[in-house]
Amino acid sequence: MDDSAWLVLRGLCRGLHLAGYFGAFGTAFFAALFGPLPGLKRLAWAGFVLALAGGAAWFWLQTAYFASANAPASVFAALPLVAGYTRFGWLTLARMGVLLLAMLCAQAGRWRVAALLAGLGVLAQSWLGHGAAMGGPEGNALLAFSLLHIGAAACWLGTLPALALAVARSDTPQALAQAYSRLGLICVALILASAFLQYWLLIGHLSAFLTTGYGATALLKTVLFAGLLALAARNRFHLTPTLPTSRKALRRAIAWEIALGLILLAAAGVVMQLPPPAMAGMEMG
Amino acid sequence: MRLSLFAAAASLMLAAAPAAFAHAHLKASTPAAGAKVAPSTSALLLTFTEAVQPKFCTVTVLDSMGMHAEQGAPQTVPGHPNELSVKLHLQMAGKYTVDWHALSVDTHKTHGKFSFTVTN
Repeated sequence: MDDSAWLVLRGLCRGLHLAGYFGAFGTAFFAALFGPLPGLKRLAWAGFVLALAGGAAWFWLQTAYFASANAPASVFAALPLVAGYTRFGWLTLARMGVLLLAMLCAQAGRWRVAALLAGLGVLAQSWLGHGAAMGGPEGNALLAFSLLHIGAAACWLGTLPALALAVARSDTPQALAQAYSRLGLICVALILASAFLQYWLLIGHLSAFLTTGYGATALLKTVLFAGLLALAARNRFHLTPTLPTSRKALRRAIAWEIALGLILLAAAGVVMQLPPPAMAGMEMG
Repeated sequence: MRLSLFAAAASLMLAAAPAAFAHAHLKASTPAAGAKVAPSTSALLLTFTEAVQPKFCTVTVLDSMGMHAEQGAPQTVPGHPNELSVKLHLQMAGKYTVDWHALSVDTHKTHGKFSFTVTN
């Protein structure tokens, strides 16, 4: 595989890890907000397993990239160095440790503590981004936008599997769906605002959406997000008012949202591996 | 109408966006690219746009004969995680080529090359 194929693979693994993390956090958050339901613990553990598998694959590929190693033995030898001496290494391991702790709390029925711990792990991902690495006023602004973006995305996309389960099992699905809509609206507003501000700093110019890999992937994310919004609007204005008759249709629509959300997170994983267009021309010498 | 006004404003803001320098790119160096320095110069300092991970950074300094002039591995400067320093032993006058590879804390690798001249 050439470099760009490895880059995409690293990004996809990062996206899967993020999706699993979002799912585990979102399930705990949903239970903390709307009350526990049978099946939520299993859903949270499924998210944990996906976060662990995606994270392990991402860690391996990232180590191979850091050490410029191809042979499995060389990558294996570099793992302790990455774990101990890079922010990526210790932060990824710490985040997985925190998620495991959160899952144990969820297993014990302490959903609020689980949501808080997993939420911290979700937000910590921002310290692997451009803003935290840059420092200074611009870096701090980017870090703040990233925290808002990732937090709001986790609250929305991460709670969708739990919502699908709850819509199927709740005695009052309409009240639940209406309460969820309010959460969704806040998240969407925060995602839109923080995405725009990050694009403004990292992409720099409209033409870069079509002329760079970063811009094109960001554009794909925007299109997928628009699709998610359309589905969410249909759920809110068409399917929710006719509940419980439309229970099946709503569950199907949420399943589509989850599928689109997974693709969007995979694209997000890839975009985080690419150089933002605004930095073009910085090489010296 | 409101939507199109918002879109127009957003387009204008994007068109006028400032540049954010993500990834560890070389911002400055001492000696600088193309500089003329004395043989007593004892260290090379590279300043990047982002914090770097020294365990995965390399800096080589070769004279015109291809002999290494750097001594030891590069280290970050205490309190300045975006600065890499490497000791130099410049034995003779002539052109020296610096080849750097950096890993930033946001997991991206960058590299570059420049040269400076040692004069007696």
